[in-house]
Amino acid sequence: MKASTLRTFQIVHTWTGLMAGFALFIAFYAGALTVFHDDIAAWQTPPWRSTPDAAVPVGGLIDKLVTQHPEARADFGIVLPPTQGQAPYAFWVSDGQSRFATAGELAQPRLEGNPNDLADFVYALHDSLGFPVVGLYFMGIVSVLYGLALVSGVILHLPQLVKDLFALRVGKNIKRLWQDAHNAIGVLSLPFHIIFAITGAVFCLFTVTMLALNVTAFNGKLFDAFAEATRTEPVVQASGVAATMLSYDELVAHARAVAKTRGAANFEPDYVHFTHYGDRNAVAMVRGLSERALDTYGYIALNAGTGEPLMASVGGNRDGNSIVYSAMYTLHFGNFGGRPVQWLYFLLGLAGAFLFYSGNLLWIESRRKRRHRDQPFKTRVMARATVGVCIGSCLAISGTFAATMIASSLDIEAQWPQRAACYGLFLAACAYACVRPVARATVELLIATGMLTLAVSLADLLRNAGAWMQPWTPQTVAVLGVDLVGIVLAIAFFAFARASSRRAREGDTHSVWTSQARTGLP
Amino acid sequence: MIARCLAGVLLGFPLSAALIALLYALPGGQSALIALLLLFFPLWIACMTAAYFFRSGTRAWLSFGTANLAAFAALWLTRHLGGA
Repeated sequence: MKASTLRTFQIVHTWTGLMAGFALFIAFYAGALTVFHDDIAAWQTPPWRSTPDAAVPVGGLIDKLVTQHPEARADFGIVLPPTQGQAPYAFWVSDGQSRFATAGELAQPRLEGNPNDLADFVYALHDSLGFPVVGLYFMGIVSVLYGLALVSGVILHLPQLVKDLFALRVGKNIKRLWQDAHNAIGVLSLPFHIIFAITGAVFCLFTVTMLALNVTAFNGKLFDAFAEATRTEPVVQASGVAATMLSYDELVAHARAVAKTRGAANFEPDYVHFTHYGDRNAVAMVRGLSERALDTYGYIALNAGTGEPLMASVGGNRDGNSIVYSAMYTLHFGNFGGRPVQWLYFLLGLAGAFLFYSGNLLWIESRRKRRHRDQPFKTRVMARATVGVCIGSCLAISGTFAATMIASSLDIEAQWPQRAACYGLFLAACAYACVRPVARATVELLIATGMLTLAVSLADLLRNAGAWMQPWTPQTVAVLGVDLVGIVLAIAFFAFARASSRRAREGDTHSVWTSQARTGLP
Repeated sequence: MIARCLAGVLLGFPLSAALIALLYALPGGQSALIALLLLFFPLWIACMTAAYFFRSGTRAWLSFGTANLAAFAALWLTRHLGGA
């Protein structure tokens, strides 16, 4: 390849990386935690601190819903909780507005799902930085830039790819070591990053892309074709003849039987959708997860009165669209292979966050003035921004866990404390990184993050002391797991603080990362 | 550099859209709709990358413009001659 083309791609890689890197760091750190979404949900509401409505069976919720809101019969969904401690809730549309309610909230339904849910808030930070719609589109653009950064990075690295892939040159040249680590992680986890760049862009920019494709190339037929390709239940008309409905448990038993005959290893429902409830033509569509299959999500539509299977996309003999649609989610969320795959996704997610952090450090390092104490303004700004945003987002997420725990002890709604802690700590960390000498700010913010993370984990271990004495359930293990991961992360933050502190005291003084006082002439 | 970047972004978008619509028009395309929609972003990014291999912005715009014309002409032909 010509030298000028390589130079062009160097510029493309640098700029796409810089523009997308900060948002991607947050997406990957929050995303690594989101792998354990259900465990975080159990951490917030374990069975021994369950919400009042958790005791209401799904059937009871359905009965109350159709009695109190008869208009919902035509079309409603039941979202099943990921953990025993939480309550199932109903979703329906009334007067053109979405309504959400657990059994106890039916008199005054909410306008959004479960706003106090910590796991869902961490997920929102991951997919949209916590800002609905605008944040989602922003992250979609970030995903496209990320794709471009991946391609340009591979093109740049290609000439030495084979030679340098396993080289990690530990030595005097620290920049060489960081560059090797950046390249090794970037190339070795490339398949994983390609999956995220593509599915991330599709998830975030879905609506606008569909609109654009529909107009430009699909002659206005794309939406119908898409609805047909992703259909999971037949479209039926109400007959007007009332019929007795099967109970929820009977429906699930029927759905499991269908899944089993189609060869699915298991089938754990997480969502049920009803149309024309109470009518002879009522349809119940059960969505469930099957383990050890790339197409984890299965859909089984039944007649809600007789249990007769109407449509099934599960196990074997699914069509191409159904498999790809399911695999696209599964590959992104890493829920296709139980715990080992979850840990793999967690580690790769953290490695991804490191990739973007190290990219910024390399940018600063390659603009370092080797014979001056005063470093260029742009590298000083970049150093402050990197420290403030990256360490600040780790601090903010630990703060969100702390706020959730405090809100639960005070028995108040967690929604606003979570958001205040998250955005407050993030902005405070950014401000701190702007005013403090950056080398000191790095060490102090890392220590603060480590302390906060450790404090949350230890406090939670103590407050659940009773549960450790009881017979253990998978939920107990989940809660303990979250606390132990918190402790390990805290130790990692302390280790980073120690390394940064040593760098500031003993490393090269011609750098933004030194904290040594000026002594004599350079 | 900016001209080539814009050529890839602005003309790469309709080109990628036309290409997946062409693939969709092939026999069996209906059962691959989701896979084709997933293919859209890699194609678009490939266009953005390919744009930098042109010697100048003008060449990039001309080439992508011609490719767009060809792709949309083919799409028009499949619609009007394919009997659909």
